[in-house]
Amino acid sequence: MVNLTIDEKQVSVGKDATIYDAAKAAGVKIPILCHDKKLHPFGGCRMCLVEVEQMKGRLIPACTTPVTEGMIVRTVTDEIVKARKLVLELLLLKHPIDCPVCDAAGDCDLQNLTYEYKVNTNRFVDEKFNHAIDYDNPLIERDMNRCIHCGKCARICDEIVSYGAYTFINRGIEAKMGTEFDGPLNCEFCGSCVSVCPVGALNSRPFKFKARWWALNKVKSVCSYCGTGCQLTLGVKDNKVLTTVYDENQGFHNGQLCTRGRFGYQFVNSDRRLTTPLVRKNGQLVEATWEEALKLVTDKLAAAKSAPASAAALTTARLTNEELFVFGKLFKETVGTDNVDHSAGYAHEALTKGAKASFGITASPSEIADIQKAEQLLVVKSDAYETHPVIGFEINLGVKRKGVKLQIVSDKKGKLGKLPGAKTAVHAPGAEVALFNALCASVIEQGLAVDAPGLAELKGSLSAADAQATGLSAEEIAAIAKEFATAEKALIILPIGQGYPGHDANLAQAAANLAILTGKIGKEGAGLLIMGEKNNSQGAADLGIYPQKGGLTAQQIIDGAASGSIKTLYIAGENPVVSYPNRAKVEKALDAVDFLVVADLFLTETAAKADVVLPVVSFAEKSGTFTSLGRRVQNVRQAIKPLGLAKSDFEVLSTLNSALGGARYAKQGDVFAEIASSVAGYAGLTQAKLTDQGVVVPVTVSAKLTAVAAKTPAAQAGKFALVTGSALYHNGTMSRFGEGPMYVCPDGYAELSTDDAAALKVAEGDTVKLTSATGSVSLKAKVGKRVPKGVVFAPYHFGEASINSITDGAAVTFVTVGK
Amino acid sequence: MSNAPAEAVKAEETPEEVIDLTEANNIIDKYLTLPGNLMPVLQGIQEWYGYVPRPTIDLVAERLNVYPSQIYGVLTFYAQFHLKPRGRYIIRVCVGTACHVQGAERIVDTFFGRLGIGHAETTTDLRYTFEKVACLGACGMAPLAMVNDDTFGKMTVQKVDEIVERYNQAPMKPEQK
Repeated sequence: MVNLTIDEKQVSVGKDATIYDAAKAAGVKIPILCHDKKLHPFGGCRMCLVEVEQMKGRLIPACTTPVTEGMIVRTVTDEIVKARKLVLELLLLKHPIDCPVCDAAGDCDLQNLTYEYKVNTNRFVDEKFNHAIDYDNPLIERDMNRCIHCGKCARICDEIVSYGAYTFINRGIEAKMGTEFDGPLNCEFCGSCVSVCPVGALNSRPFKFKARWWALNKVKSVCSYCGTGCQLTLGVKDNKVLTTVYDENQGFHNGQLCTRGRFGYQFVNSDRRLTTPLVRKNGQLVEATWEEALKLVTDKLAAAKSAPASAAALTTARLTNEELFVFGKLFKETVGTDNVDHSAGYAHEALTKGAKASFGITASPSEIADIQKAEQLLVVKSDAYETHPVIGFEINLGVKRKGVKLQIVSDKKGKLGKLPGAKTAVHAPGAEVALFNALCASVIEQGLAVDAPGLAELKGSLSAADAQATGLSAEEIAAIAKEFATAEKALIILPIGQGYPGHDANLAQAAANLAILTGKIGKEGAGLLIMGEKNNSQGAADLGIYPQKGGLTAQQIIDGAASGSIKTLYIAGENPVVSYPNRAKVEKALDAVDFLVVADLFLTETAAKADVVLPVVSFAEKSGTFTSLGRRVQNVRQAIKPLGLAKSDFEVLSTLNSALGGARYAKQGDVFAEIASSVAGYAGLTQAKLTDQGVVVPVTVSAKLTAVAAKTPAAQAGKFALVTGSALYHNGTMSRFGEGPMYVCPDGYAELSTDDAAALKVAEGDTVKLTSATGSVSLKAKVGKRVPKGVVFAPYHFGEASINSITDGAAVTFVTVGK
Repeated sequence: MSNAPAEAVKAEETPEEVIDLTEANNIIDKYLTLPGNLMPVLQGIQEWYGYVPRPTIDLVAERLNVYPSQIYGVLTFYAQFHLKPRGRYIIRVCVGTACHVQGAERIVDTFFGRLGIGHAETTTDLRYTFEKVACLGACGMAPLAMVNDDTFGKMTVQKVDEIVERYNQAPMKPEQK
């Protein structure tokens, strides 16, 4: 520790601290414009100049100067104030004083400091800049006339996002923050640059002229897209969520968000929201009262109580824990059916079956914090960045700041592979399980295995065929195995979701085997992190929202509906028509079912088939808890009143439950208490204890090696291997109702390799027809170097030309591609 | 203004270029393992192609794993890099004080007349780019002109004709090193 004095205050800080850090620790505020706690010190703006007794004669920048023992620092003297005023005068010389129409007003560091330092005149005169404003993208407005050259946007884009959209271009007075060839911004649109911009040079276009910053009510909540569980602050006015407000102190991610989180909130106040119940009369869905709609549902469910096997319920993992709890009570106990499932059935099995078999728990043994503590990461699919972008930022930071080594095993290349030292092994499509089996075999062969329960069984199950099926050389496999096994702390990252039917229980077990076999379980910064797709995927697994007593899985429920054995089906928020495999089959099944209830925010493709549609609310209109991947339970807070007549799923399910003779749950807080007393690991939790940070639920792991048979699909001559997944800007099918994601990525596409595209004479943007045994679909072609030859990638979120028209739940679908 | 930054090419103005990337790849190969290799690679490319064509920027970005934006930042920071095609032969005439008093303006005007281009312009056949410069640092030889690395001191109007005649015969392709 280093001791120093700042403004007469004694403070002790670590030897790596800067004067700025020390001042912060001492409670002394030093003004900054270019400094950001998440970024490397820059020392560009000179606002943080301070006086150091031992370095008299010049002023010292606090943000870049390391502390030394016995330093005596003064942060406010006449000379310092004069210097800071000069800095502000020089910045204001070029900065347009258009604060009345600037969205940053009120949240502008330059404006606030000008006010604080009373800079009401300027000794200098000069012309303002006359740069063209970049309106070429729908999300981020770049007004470089307002830019003060702090470089934060370029630094965050490089250091954390690793995209590198920005750079200083030109030199001297002509220098400005620009992009490649000074063209329009064309990036991931995560908006990190907007969040850190100290002035109004970078603005969120969807928020432009919507509200003054100080008029916004700011409500802390949790993002309702992917399973990462990023905390966000909603900017609310007049019962509308108008923006997300950046708070650098929020969550493990320090306020970092991706496109969906930052720009995808518009679904909350969308014009397309359902605001009244709908009931099918004479074949048409017509508006109805809640009483009428709920009576229909109650009657049908009451009738189903005598034949519970004919009733079934599907839910999305987007509901809160409390809602899922009541959902479980209603269907599993009050109605008495075990035909209850979520996430297409297969998309949670990595947790509910795989982790259960390998670790005895339905959760990952590792948590998000382990990523940066690891020495070696083994990421399954480069898609880990696309499915969970903020986890991607954690990986970026781990690799670039902590020297974490990164190995990717994937069926295609991705952005993570461009990180320094990152290695990507592109294996045959669908060979993930085979690859992990081969890695286990290699670990054993190299004598790097530790003893663990089930070792003999595992040894007996491994075969040399696995290594061959991967398409990788024996040397590559041996090198990956050796690197993983010999690293003190090594972590496997495995994203799961409805777009990844191959990421099932088997793959989770195979990955778990490698972690267990190399002794990586039970250590910090090591193990296996299974990343659920939805905001509450982990909660749905914890609360047991899947068949546990021989009931039907989601896929079997669809089959049952088609065959007529399922007569009553309640769907809460799930959109099987678009997100379940084999669209034609799902549509037929939903048409065949006697009574279909859909509770959703929107009249989705699935809701359009319902007999009763119940309008429910978004995460912004309700309170409760979500459990994110890595088992962090977090508070969701109500920001606005429900739109129209919409009610929360909690209220709907609770009303139904009591109408059918079950308990009536009045307050979600009471239900959380019940969850705490009945769900393993949640014991002792209260919503008050969750505070702003949330609580990571502890787990007791009993690791066991299990034999997993790899079923790698054999390549088919003349056919392409279609792999589905998530697009960077989307999550599930809900992000389609967020304007932000839809601006950037409005349609599905089929991604082809440059070689294949050339052979097929297909150019970017051409329409290609993909035909499988299940059907055919026409999509826009995207051509690039990401996918290898013979592979086609398509995201699954879209209702138009949905890729599930041609998939049937297999990890890889073989298709022909034509024009 | 002699310290004006290199001209910025707007994306939409970039002409459709068909660039043979073989030599760019060779240059990258040569420096691939050298730390801090971006500058020598860009200098090599500029030397070979006469400027830094856009396709080479994408190539360098991909092969050196540097953001294209950063490369563009470097290229626009240093006056030595050019993003538009330049002549094979760069004629620079000093108009600094010493050369000025020795009649540099007449030399400049003569070049303008012979080449049909003005300051900082390039002939359509890409043979010549003409530049007036502030000082070449050899005032004893005023008035001074340079063509690429060759220096011509004590310039006269007659010598302008000789120089243009000589470089009209010179090859358009740089010599392979």
